[in-house]
Amino acid sequence: MSVIKIDPKLDLVLEREIDVPVELVWMAWTTPHHLKEWFVPKPWTISRCEIDLRPGGAFNTTMRSPEGEEFPSDGCFLEIVEHRRLVFTDALLPGFRPAAKPFFTGALLLEPQGHGTKYTALALHADEASRQNHAEMGFEEGWGTVASQMVDYIKAGKLSH
Amino acid sequence: MPPANDSLPVDHLFRALSDPTRRAVVERLAVGEASVSELAASHSMALPSFVEHLRTLEGCGIVTSRKQGRVRTYSLAPDRLRQAEEWLGRQRLLWEGRLDRLDAYLLKLKEEKPE
Repeated sequence: MSVIKIDPKLDLVLEREIDVPVELVWMAWTTPHHLKEWFVPKPWTISRCEIDLRPGGAFNTTMRSPEGEEFPSDGCFLEIVEHRRLVFTDALLPGFRPAAKPFFTGALLLEPQGHGTKYTALALHADEASRQNHAEMGFEEGWGTVASQMVDYIKAGKLSH
Repeated sequence: MPPANDSLPVDHLFRALSDPTRRAVVERLAVGEASVSELAASHSMALPSFVEHLRTLEGCGIVTSRKQGRVRTYSLAPDRLRQAEEWLGRQRLLWEGRLDRLDAYLLKLKEEKPE
């Protein structure tokens, strides 16, 4: 059981039923060269990805705009349950050092469903203003788009490389 | 010569201002210039959508940006907002004029038909 309690006033949730198995979703999320291929809505790209898959281990990414502007984001993993649950945050840097500008904790919850997966992505925030800000920035669109990109990437058979 | 944006109809301006995220950016920039990272959490897959909002605002001239190294900084371009204000001002004058005339007419009726 997870300690996470979703508060609709503070949190954003994306739920999808996808027809790719949990093992492949897990691989797409936890392997840097795979994650780079789908983690940001195209035509943006991921120019850097570091994953150290253990509590306190780095989860660092840099998003790059089509104009070449780069937005680095560093954080760490909090909980790793293989094929089921991945929790990470930007509130703590790798090694658990508190970050200067914490914004959210993310959680990926996976449940096998036949040959597919019930895919739940959570964004937990400190206050209603942050939730609102994240929603207005385009949470639904951004996180939904990358979930679709991930499914397309897996279905194209790219994970075997 | 005036900037090209001056020739854009006021439609673009109000369309750009019709979105809560974009209005929040305008409110924030009224306080002072800010980088993208200061305007939004750069840690989310929502960032590209947000940057698109900034491009919309810049496209119609409400904000301007400049790039220093890797950081792009946005600031408000108040001249463009003034055009929205002037448009609203003209509508207000029109309505105030109508109300004044109605007021005068009612007074006149009252004088003509004393109770």
